[in-house]
Amino acid sequence: MSDRTTDVLVIGAGPAGSMTAKWAAKHGANVLMIEKRQEIGSPVRCGEGMSKDWLAEVGVAPGRWVNLEVEGARIYSPSEKVFEINEKHAGNEVGYVVERDAFDKQLAIDAANAGVEVKLKTAAVGVLKENGRVVGAKVKEFGETYEIRAPITVAADGFESQVGRWAGIPTNLAVRDMDTCLQYRMTNVDCDVRYCDFYLGKVAPGGYVWIFPKAEGLANVGIGVQVSQVKSPADARTYLDRWIEAHPGYAKGKKIDMVGGGVSISPPLKQTVADGIMLVGDAARMIDPLTGGGIANGCIAGKICGEVAAEAVRSHDVSREFLQRYEKGWRARLEEKLYRNWLAKEKLTTLSDETFDKVVDAISGVRLGKLNVHNILKAVHEKYPEVTREFEALL
Amino acid sequence: MPSKKSLHIESSGQLCIYCGACVGICPLNCIYLDETRITFDEKVCTRCEICVKACPVGAIEIG
Repeated sequence: MSDRTTDVLVIGAGPAGSMTAKWAAKHGANVLMIEKRQEIGSPVRCGEGMSKDWLAEVGVAPGRWVNLEVEGARIYSPSEKVFEINEKHAGNEVGYVVERDAFDKQLAIDAANAGVEVKLKTAAVGVLKENGRVVGAKVKEFGETYEIRAPITVAADGFESQVGRWAGIPTNLAVRDMDTCLQYRMTNVDCDVRYCDFYLGKVAPGGYVWIFPKAEGLANVGIGVQVSQVKSPADARTYLDRWIEAHPGYAKGKKIDMVGGGVSISPPLKQTVADGIMLVGDAARMIDPLTGGGIANGCIAGKICGEVAAEAVRSHDVSREFLQRYEKGWRARLEEKLYRNWLAKEKLTTLSDETFDKVVDAISGVRLGKLNVHNILKAVHEKYPEVTREFEALL
Repeated sequence: MPSKKSLHIESSGQLCIYCGACVGICPLNCIYLDETRITFDEKVCTRCEICVKACPVGAIEIG
């Protein structure tokens, strides 16, 4: 394979990469998207729950990748008091349960149909730099190494991103800002297809256990544990197995699939662009630190990233200064919520089981009206005034 | 100089599920995932053991 050039090189064909590639192509750029795997979307590393109100914004229509639509979420406290949230207020994680591999493929098809060239089995193994500026990447396609030069490189290489760090953009995570996750697809379980369920407290230190129903009797049953609260190797598996064992409706189920992975639960990065390069999606640590949901944010930022990439190429200006349009654009849309939810996560990961019980007990009995921190705290204050003192930082 | 502890990533598939959690958390960016093979840079690795905690299935050992 000989060296080649393109306008925009997108590394990684997950949702954020495909979205970036599609919008850059739609705005007139020549785009090459590379994917290290042989199959886009597979193996799945995801709980497969997502909200749906953002899809139109990025030009995606619901398709066969939707498994089912849930009505809401149920939050279980450690003593299993329940708080139900209507789907409209549940945040990034609730709305659709999806076939993630089919979703990723659809976005890649959309990108390809917009003119993007896609290369499979092609991994970035380094970035090319000239005078401190990123000018493309060294790649390995079917074992053969060559260079792709591009005025704009986009790192959409997911949680395990290395491209950003190769380019000199710090994306390191503190151990309290990452969850280690494991999930089983289970059949013959007593899931309720109307709800996504979340179990909080010591069952999943610093994280939660989730149940995302795929169909009657079939669900994704998973766990995230904050890495700073891991005591022994394989705690994610130990805690998940323990939770399943303690719940007869799931203990009787059969595992048919297992996925694992890391999820960042960090504050937004200080920097997501440098000369000639932009970071997007999980690679840019855009996952919602409270819910662990990353698809919506990755796609929303991806659209902005693609538009700015095309504009930069057209303007013959790929400097860090020009790329501030992306930096500012995604921050205007997402940063405040990411930061607020990171603060909420920081607080929630310190709460005792007893406090979780009181909070869920207090809010489950009342009509909250609009679901927001203020209304929740008001309800908690009326019943357990001593608990709200712990939350003052969030007000 | 005291010799470094040994780090072993079980990546033959008996334990490892190739999820990349260790790659993303490594503070020195020295773990590489190549679909069904995980390697790390022996010289760069400081045996900080963060990857051991990040692995959801216990496939990384430090001795």
